[in-house]
Amino acid sequence: MSEKGEVDLTGAKQNTGVWLVKVPKYLSQQWAKATGRGEVGKLRICKNQGKAEVSFTLNEELTAIDGMADKKVQAPREHPFTMQTVGGQTLAVFTETSSGEHKIALEGVVVQRAECRPAVSESYMKLKRIQIEESSKPVRLSQQLEKAVTNNYKPVANHAYNLEYERKKKEEGKRARADKQQVLDMLFSAFEKHQYYNIKDLVDITKQPVIYLKEILRDIGIYNVKGTHKNTWELKPEYRHYQGEEKTDD
Amino acid sequence: MASLGSSSSSATEYTVRVPKNTTKKYSIMAFNAGDKVNCSTWTQARMERDMSARRMYGEEEMPEGAAGSEFGKKQREEARRKKFGIVTREFKVEDQPWILKVNGKAGKRFKGQKKGGVTENASYYIFTQCPDGAFEAFPVHGWYNFTPLAKHRTLTAEEAEEEWGRRNKVVNHFSIMLQRRLREQERGEEEEDETEKAGKKKKKKGGGRGGDLRIHDLEDDLDMSSDDSDSSMGEDGEGKSKAKKEKEAKGKAKKKKRKSSENEAMEDSDDGDYEGLEVDYMSDESSSEEEPEKAKPSKGEEHPKGIDEASESEEESEEEKQNEEEAKEEDEEEDGKKTPVQMEKKKKKDSSGESDSSDDSDIEGEAASALFMVKKRTPPKRGGGRGSGGSSRTGSRPGTPSIDSAATSNTLRAAANKLEQGARKRQPQGPGTDTPAAKRLKMEPSSQSPAPSGKSTPQPQSGKSTPSSSDVQLTEEAVRRYLIRKPMTTKDLLKKFQTKRTGLSSEQTVNVLAQILKRLNPERKNVNDKMHFYLTE
Repeated sequence: MSEKGEVDLTGAKQNTGVWLVKVPKYLSQQWAKATGRGEVGKLRICKNQGKAEVSFTLNEELTAIDGMADKKVQAPREHPFTMQTVGGQTLAVFTETSSGEHKIALEGVVVQRAECRPAVSESYMKLKRIQIEESSKPVRLSQQLEKAVTNNYKPVANHAYNLEYERKKKEEGKRARADKQQVLDMLFSAFEKHQYYNIKDLVDITKQPVIYLKEILRDIGIYNVKGTHKNTWELKPEYRHYQGEEKTDD
Repeated sequence: MASLGSSSSSATEYTVRVPKNTTKKYSIMAFNAGDKVNCSTWTQARMERDMSARRMYGEEEMPEGAAGSEFGKKQREEARRKKFGIVTREFKVEDQPWILKVNGKAGKRFKGQKKGGVTENASYYIFTQCPDGAFEAFPVHGWYNFTPLAKHRTLTAEEAEEEWGRRNKVVNHFSIMLQRRLREQERGEEEEDETEKAGKKKKKKGGGRGGDLRIHDLEDDLDMSSDDSDSSMGEDGEGKSKAKKEKEAKGKAKKKKRKSSENEAMEDSDDGDYEGLEVDYMSDESSSEEEPEKAKPSKGEEHPKGIDEASESEEESEEEKQNEEEAKEEDEEEDGKKTPVQMEKKKKKDSSGESDSSDDSDIEGEAASALFMVKKRTPPKRGGGRGSGGSSRTGSRPGTPSIDSAATSNTLRAAANKLEQGARKRQPQGPGTDTPAAKRLKMEPSSQSPAPSGKSTPQPQSGKSTPSSSDVQLTEEAVRRYLIRKPMTTKDLLKKFQTKRTGLSSEQTVNVLAQILKRLNPERKNVNDKMHFYLTE
């Protein structure tokens, strides 16, 4: 069991050679549709007087392109490979396991580069044309409307907002002064969660009228300008219990 | 499955499969052709994502919850950002670069940056051949370009700008990194850094001289450098190795001297002051660590640099005082951050008893070391002092121990240190020194012997006690007055009692001032990372 970060170097040691092949997008899309064991086609390697010719033939069933109901357009089947050398560059292949473990392994080194090109054919040309048409459509479109849009009137007062406002007024009314001890309890528990509070937030939490709340706060807390432009309330040092500070409660 | 082809060509057919299981994600690791990377030679490798960019996206300035946090802070910050249209890019782990370490600590390191646009228009597949002859194709999810990381230290952008401004004046480029390292040490970086630096310094200096660690062709030195690089020791170890080195170097003083001369010759010094200095570095006094081997390199630099060095060493001494707590034999301490060049000088000085002008520096160093452990870059200071000559030198004392105020301040600091800890015995340098990086010569025993002798020399010189008539008398009263008025560092105090005006030699000043401070026992406080003394009466 390798620890995190440890690279499994078996592939490098064995000098496993792999090919790096550049494949057109439509072909990789077709390959993604492969069923079963994942067979997508056949690779034919011919050695013609020293020169190697590699060609890939796509399986019949994979030539149907999604979205094209029209059977005329099909992916071409023959794809000769253009072989290239790696050059001086060292290209290594490594893998990571995506699930949980995240193990990294060096699979091998690229020994040959290739480009997969479609053999030029009528069907390929058609395919390409359709692709170009699709991609040349503008993303944004200006369209003329026959009828003006009439379902968004400008209200005098926001109707939905109005309702909400009235409801709020009815329900809460003026905030009642609760028992001082209760308010203190609420405040202390609030200050346990955060050190600095805006007066508005405290009013929201405690549901007390502002003046009354301010009185209580003046008892147990301090109002600081703090330099970070917001004016906030915090508990007095003797009431605080943050990180080892001595706590004295009233 | 292979079917033989016909006609002249032989063709074989293979099935191509694109496996459906997606547990493994394939990526390309691309190295530059020039780096000549051969993966099969790797014995061991570790690779992790480089998460250093996470800090930029984290923005954890405020603690969450409890102390220090504000209610609703996050929402407010977010709303504010939206209002101003600040769009912060998300931190995606997938896009972070890789850090690849090959062959453990001593091996190479690479950084792999993701190359964009690889999977946009065309897909890359990796074709591997399976045992059954069929090909399997795996899509490539990412392409990372791996570049080797430099292991040597480099200047930061600010420092580079600074050096660029001085490019016409600075002749000795080797000392640039050296200075930087010494500065870092002042800031009290970890010992590990220092040990690394020591090792690196050695290497750098060696490289500068045209060979890896080849400043001294002496095996001892090579041993020492390897010791250093090992950095198996901790802080004390550093000192120890340095001390050891010193000792060895002592034995080879003569050779060192020659080396020093070589260095001298190599340096394009526009400061004629150093011409006679080859001889100087022959002092037998061990403490001479301070001797500016380092001075040599810094010679080429202009006066302001010397002053800078002086201030730096001052800072260093502060640090040292705080860090070390023993008054060590001069050598070790002072060497503190010597480069190999400095070490050479030291060695020379330590080893032989030849008296050169370096004697002066040696004596100075000795005086300092004799009393305190001053782990500063006295050498650089000396060199700076000498080079800058002007600042404290009158020019009329070439042969006398030219103790710069800087040097004296070093010793003063050491004195102050002593005050704090009470008298410390000079311990064998090697073991307890927690001096930072600078290589220490292994000259413990030898340095010890010269040290006492060195000590004795300054003593008679520093008649002490009775300063001759002058404008400013170095008395306890005077010092007390200054300290009451405002907190001062030892350097400041020294400035007040300039040797020209008190008539004392710098050594004497140092000694007297040290004694006075001992008697006064002022309070100390740290202002701007400098130790200040003050009295309240």
